[in-house]
Amino acid sequence: MYSDLLHALPEVMGLSNFAAVIIGVIAGIVVGAMPGLSATMAISVLVPFTFGLEPLVALGLMAGIYNGAMYGGAIPAVLLRIPGTPAAVATTFDGYPMARKGEGGFALQVAVVSSAIGGIASAFALMLLAPPLSKVTLLFGPSEVFWVAVFGLASIIFLLGGNPVKGLISACFGVFVSVIGADPIYGTDRFTFGQLEMLDGINIVILLVGLYALPPVIDLLETPLKTDSVESSKLGTEPIWKAMPRMKGFWKTWLRSSVFGIWIGILPGAGGSMAAFMSYNEARRTSKNPEKWGEGEPEGVAASETANNADTASALIPALTLGIPGTAVAAVMLGGLLVHGLQPGPMLFRENPDVVFGFMWQFLFGAILLILLGGSLATNSFARLLNLPRPLLGSVIIVLMLIGVYSIHGRMFDVYLMLGFGAVGWVMDKLKFPLPPVVLGLILGGFAEENLRLALRIGRGDWGVLFQNTTSLVLVALTVAVVVGPIIKRRVIDRRKEAEG
Amino acid sequence: MSHRLSRPETLTALGIVAVAAGFLVPAMSLRPISALLPIAMLVGLIVLAVILLLMDQRKAAAGEPAQQMTKSPGRVAGAFALIVVYALATDFIGFYVSTVVAVPLTAFLFGFRHPLGLALATAIVVGAIWLIFDFGMSQDFPAGRLWAA
Repeated sequence: MYSDLLHALPEVMGLSNFAAVIIGVIAGIVVGAMPGLSATMAISVLVPFTFGLEPLVALGLMAGIYNGAMYGGAIPAVLLRIPGTPAAVATTFDGYPMARKGEGGFALQVAVVSSAIGGIASAFALMLLAPPLSKVTLLFGPSEVFWVAVFGLASIIFLLGGNPVKGLISACFGVFVSVIGADPIYGTDRFTFGQLEMLDGINIVILLVGLYALPPVIDLLETPLKTDSVESSKLGTEPIWKAMPRMKGFWKTWLRSSVFGIWIGILPGAGGSMAAFMSYNEARRTSKNPEKWGEGEPEGVAASETANNADTASALIPALTLGIPGTAVAAVMLGGLLVHGLQPGPMLFRENPDVVFGFMWQFLFGAILLILLGGSLATNSFARLLNLPRPLLGSVIIVLMLIGVYSIHGRMFDVYLMLGFGAVGWVMDKLKFPLPPVVLGLILGGFAEENLRLALRIGRGDWGVLFQNTTSLVLVALTVAVVVGPIIKRRVIDRRKEAEG
Repeated sequence: MSHRLSRPETLTALGIVAVAAGFLVPAMSLRPISALLPIAMLVGLIVLAVILLLMDQRKAAAGEPAQQMTKSPGRVAGAFALIVVYALATDFIGFYVSTVVAVPLTAFLFGFRHPLGLALATAIVVGAIWLIFDFGMSQDFPAGRLWAA
């Protein structure tokens, strides 16, 4: 089962594939360090540019960006108390007080080492858990695949938290977009209104760039953040090898936070910020001196940074095997896989073992490279990025979005479509409609429809075929649990609050 | 009453109902099996939007303030308008001319007013795009419909 993993290694070590990871990590740190930009946005903008690249080069860039951005978010969190990414909020609690005490350099070193450890643990979890899970899912027939899609959508809607009605609207919108174009069986046009450009359906990249890249650009231009200039000389940075002995007491936190991060990454809908908060709270609870936390305790930085990096590769375990992403970034990455003709799911492991296992290695190398590239010297340089003028950054991203989307088919129609999705995405973002269900709806919608119709053909139109075997029934039960579980939990909490007055 | 109906969530819900109902018309002419999923999603959107509308109106009746969309509507509208104009200009005038104007203009209008920085950034961005995409990858960008006609 794991022999394919070793076979994939030599190709990953090729110059272009390895260079892609390095470039990705650097780009990820840069993006993560800029408040307002995120890994999701960076990968959305990147995906169209990877069309002409080899799949492993493209995936290496994505893996590097994901790893780098998760650490990069710690830079403004520590230096300015502004989390660069949502997952770095918990890092501000102790990172910023450390910077005020003149230990900003050490805080960033703790962050980079912890991020690397979390990322390495996560990559190993992906390598160990994904192959056996893919073997199980190979046994699925059309009705089970249909239920997997329904389960994936239900879990991302109901486990994300927030308003389930808004989550359902997002998912319905995504699934509806997936049916635009020619019918997969009869070939009749559906909602194309005579536009030839829409016959092949809506390309996922257009949706991704519109939903994930345009709203942050509007935010950048709406409130240009004025940041204090950062002087690297005040960071108090020493060589990382000198700082390492001061971290040796963190091993328990690294271990526990890695487990938290991996577990939360696997759960659909949960994300890096939840992992970081839970890990921070647990580390504080078990600390010998919890009263010092919040005043510049380096272990607090270690807890949150390990966890938010430990959910990176693990979020791809359900994504690669079942097509259900654990986080928004994983959803965007699924889009990146589709661009290269790689359909997430069990067949991916059988048909493209070199690519899928190579991708896992790239996650591991990306995490290791964090220490080298995000080390002391690099950290000082990256800190200066915070002084970049944000309106200029916004205007450059607009240009990149336009050329990225235009390059897909070489037509402006796609750019206008992207702007339309961007406007919808901005409204959704402001009204707190979750975006991942839209992406997942688009990915799983066509997949679910195809398998539903196939199952109905096998059952000669009898809907009972969807409930005829144990696996389908288990998946139905899991879907019901995912829908009903949070409602019951909320009621229990409400009653407890009422009882407490 | 009109104030209650102008709440962003209420307007969004009404918009979803209108658009979904509009799409239902062509969906009705499809084969039943082809129309199954689209109609299920459109009806789902209408039902959910009505629920959203009722929830928001209940909040309005309870005196809860409406969700704020933006603190500076002028800047947001300006940003959207600039992006749309840039896309149209790319389509009609051509990519390079539009980009040379759009990059410094957007940055200038939204607060970065350093002439040398603007000139340098524009030169780097446009130069890098030409070098990587046009020269390196032979990627053609729109030359402008006006010049082609």
